[in-house]
Amino acid sequence: MKSKLLKTTFAILMTGLLISSCEKDTTEENQEEVITTLKLTFVPVGGGTTLTYQFDDPDGPGGTAPTQDEIILAPAKTYNVSLQLLNKTVTPAEDITTEVKEEADAHRFYYENSPGSSIAITGLDNDPNGVPLGVTSTWTTGVAANGSLKVTLRHYPAVPPNKAAGDLVNSTKSATDIEVVFVTKVQ
Amino acid sequence: MFMASLFKIFSLKITFSVFLAFFAVFHAGAQNCSFTLGGHVEDADTKEKLKEASISIKETGQQTTTDDDGNFLFTGLCTGKYTVIISHTGCDLVEKTINLQKNAHIDVYLMHSRKELGNVIVEAKKTVSNTGFKKELSGRALNETQGLNLAEALNRINGVTMLQSGPTVSKPVIHGLHGSRILTINNGVRQEGQQWGNDHAPEIDPFIADKLIVIKGVDELRYGSDAIGGVILVEPRAVRNIPGYAAELNVGYFTNNRQYVVSGLFEQQLKHKPFHYRVQGTFKKGANVATPDYRLNNTGNEELSFSLTAGWRKEKFNSELFFSHFGTKLGIFTGSHFGNITDLENAIAAPKPDDVFLGQNTYKIIRPYQDVTHQLLKSKSTFYKGDQKFTILLSAQINNRKEYDIVRSSNNQRPQLDLTIYTFSEDFTWEKMRKNNFNGVAGVSMMQQDNSYSGRYFIPNYFAYSFGAYYLEKWAKHKWELQAGIRYDNKTINTTRLKFNNDTINYDFNFSTLASSFNAIYKLNAGWRLNTNISLASRAPYINELLSDGIHHGTATYEKGDINLVPEKSFNISAGIQYQNEAKTFGFEGLLYTNNIRDFIYQQPMPETPVLTIAGAFPLIEYRQTDASLNGVDFSLFLKPVAVLEWKGKLAMLNARNKKTDDWLIWMPANRLTNEITFSAKDTKTFTGTYFSAEMQNVMEQKHVPDESNGKQDYKAPPPAYSLINLNASTIIDLYKVPTTISLGVRNLLNTQYRDYLNSMRYFADEMGLNISLRLKFQL
Repeated sequence: MKSKLLKTTFAILMTGLLISSCEKDTTEENQEEVITTLKLTFVPVGGGTTLTYQFDDPDGPGGTAPTQDEIILAPAKTYNVSLQLLNKTVTPAEDITTEVKEEADAHRFYYENSPGSSIAITGLDNDPNGVPLGVTSTWTTGVAANGSLKVTLRHYPAVPPNKAAGDLVNSTKSATDIEVVFVTKVQ
Repeated sequence: MFMASLFKIFSLKITFSVFLAFFAVFHAGAQNCSFTLGGHVEDADTKEKLKEASISIKETGQQTTTDDDGNFLFTGLCTGKYTVIISHTGCDLVEKTINLQKNAHIDVYLMHSRKELGNVIVEAKKTVSNTGFKKELSGRALNETQGLNLAEALNRINGVTMLQSGPTVSKPVIHGLHGSRILTINNGVRQEGQQWGNDHAPEIDPFIADKLIVIKGVDELRYGSDAIGGVILVEPRAVRNIPGYAAELNVGYFTNNRQYVVSGLFEQQLKHKPFHYRVQGTFKKGANVATPDYRLNNTGNEELSFSLTAGWRKEKFNSELFFSHFGTKLGIFTGSHFGNITDLENAIAAPKPDDVFLGQNTYKIIRPYQDVTHQLLKSKSTFYKGDQKFTILLSAQINNRKEYDIVRSSNNQRPQLDLTIYTFSEDFTWEKMRKNNFNGVAGVSMMQQDNSYSGRYFIPNYFAYSFGAYYLEKWAKHKWELQAGIRYDNKTINTTRLKFNNDTINYDFNFSTLASSFNAIYKLNAGWRLNTNISLASRAPYINELLSDGIHHGTATYEKGDINLVPEKSFNISAGIQYQNEAKTFGFEGLLYTNNIRDFIYQQPMPETPVLTIAGAFPLIEYRQTDASLNGVDFSLFLKPVAVLEWKGKLAMLNARNKKTDDWLIWMPANRLTNEITFSAKDTKTFTGTYFSAEMQNVMEQKHVPDESNGKQDYKAPPPAYSLINLNASTIIDLYKVPTTISLGVRNLLNTQYRDYLNSMRYFADEMGLNISLRLKFQL
């Protein structure tokens, strides 16, 4: 009786040791959404070179510090601007802009520039309810100036989102996913 | 024959003697139902008077316990034959048959079946506790906490406070220390989950426990060398050792958040086999919590837990198999969870949460929330050989923690943090029965652990292996008790972190830790007791302290570990004094402690170097080491001016210093004072054990916080002092012959608006307002 029980307990013990000493599992996946890159593409109205400026953090938060371009635009010009979000931690890089557009009524980009930056941002595209989304916009530059621009992506977690045209960037109805400040130079 | 077979069943190697003495009491008439049965219970070999032995009469169901002199008395008995059952912790059960014809008195000598060092439960037979620091929550005090979580229950012990993250998440804090500095021992097994996180509550259903015990000192060494803060023992009630079954049902309702709780237990000891089993389960659900002025959205909770115990008990061998499942879903207040510093700072600056976060009265839990499960399978076998005892304890634990944050895409159903940890442990213990006033215990422990994550990185995948060995010796003679112990542990951690381009970063660590403890107790004379304890403990850095690297959602901070951390070493000296007068109408207890921790690991805010991410800049918090000194005092006092009235006072004070910067340590409990008055009514035919108590709890403002002249250390200054009034009332009635305990609890009677320094929700919102609870306990 006793020896049988001893054997049983020993067997349990060995099983435990065996399970826990298995090889390291290397197939784990890190599937959480990461936005690594915010890219702005500037197409000058009336022709000219297309410009792209980006905030890029290919390994996600932490690790290597992100790189950030300065937005350099020519004076007295109009640009059609489109915004793209990428996840570069996966190959090929995932375009998150598509998802944002699919849920346009729960997302909103805000563009806030410093006074005197000499850039006017208008013509934000709308979601199906006619409330600004901001994936595309029109930028008009004035005289030469230096300034800054903050791009913020807010999303509305509530169902329904209750997004309204008058919502400010710090509305408590929405929360921040992206907050990037660019240096702007009109020269 | 019956007695003989009973002893056979319980395999008791006992000798006992019974003296039956009948007093010559003559009755003129036949007053059939006014007899008394009194008695006296003593330890057979030490002649120690056994208090708190439980005595019951099988036929009438009457129950009592012995007083401090080992005496008991039943009244109102009729003539007839009665079976009296006498039991006491650590002793074997004795059953006696009395043919009552007149008032009678019996003397019972109980044999402590085995003089083992035992765990602290067995030591409870002593009139005073037997280790450096031992406080326990049981009986009435534990009853009053039914329906609360583990930390809220432990909070009632003087010297124990709570660290909270909103109304649903709380962790116990012992003398200012928490997390991996405290070991939680669930039914003999060291609980292994993700205890490092400030918002990771212990995964234990308090209904499993019959006693919650906090110990410091020599007995800590049985569980690890790293119990710098202390050990919490969650002890289930002793298994039934009389053939038959027992059942208990608890139901409770709390008005504030419409929380209801149902917990049941059924157990049976077979009549002809030394086999017993127990089934236990709890279900709890609460809606959103209301503060005096507003209701906090998404502060609901849900819990479903159950446990199964099966045991086999023979003279030289007993074995127990235990399985428990704990599952909980905890809502996180939406107005306290931010993934961006601007949003967080706006919320903190506001005097009250924005209306979008308030007002919903629902049980529904949405993002952000935590979903945690913990499973434990344990087998414990004990063999006796001569005066030696061997124990093999094997256990397996699976802990899964999923944290669901607010996410950008509504298609995302995944948790953002998903941690699974498997733990196997093997403990072998050898114990020597008490001989020549000495008794010893030695043991070897091993543990293997596999942690994996998916989703956001916060801590790496890792394997950890540890082994340890300890030896304790206790000596007791006359007025002295001396105890000493030593323990060594070695822990290996091999980590793997996945990088974005499928690379891995691996780190390997190995830590050796040593602990020892010495305890001396001197019983000055009747009523007085002095106790001194010196303990050395060391704790290896935990995985999050070494390698955490990521955004801590909720607090919007970026936490970064340091791979160069070394084990922290604590040198703790405590001195205790206890007094109780002979009439038990006055007594006090004081404990002075000083805990000096070299290389104390703490989180240092780095306001100058924020971490830039695409979601904005996050304040950086780094793990650092310093030398810390925690000095404090716990003092309690009771006074019973008349039998029905008792006043109790409790005071806990702590000073915690960072010695290297000559500054205060952050997040330490404020000093507090609690006064309680209890009126106990005399038992009547209908109502027994009736009492009414009123408690006033004063928590001071924490003025000892780090200096902010060199940079911000905290988002907000500590909240002001507060006072709460709580009420409790309880009585036992017979409901269709079922003893039923009816209890009423009122927390925060005056609906006081307050915030607590150790609750991270203080940045955003007030604490819970008035909460009335009604609880029923049926015992079958």
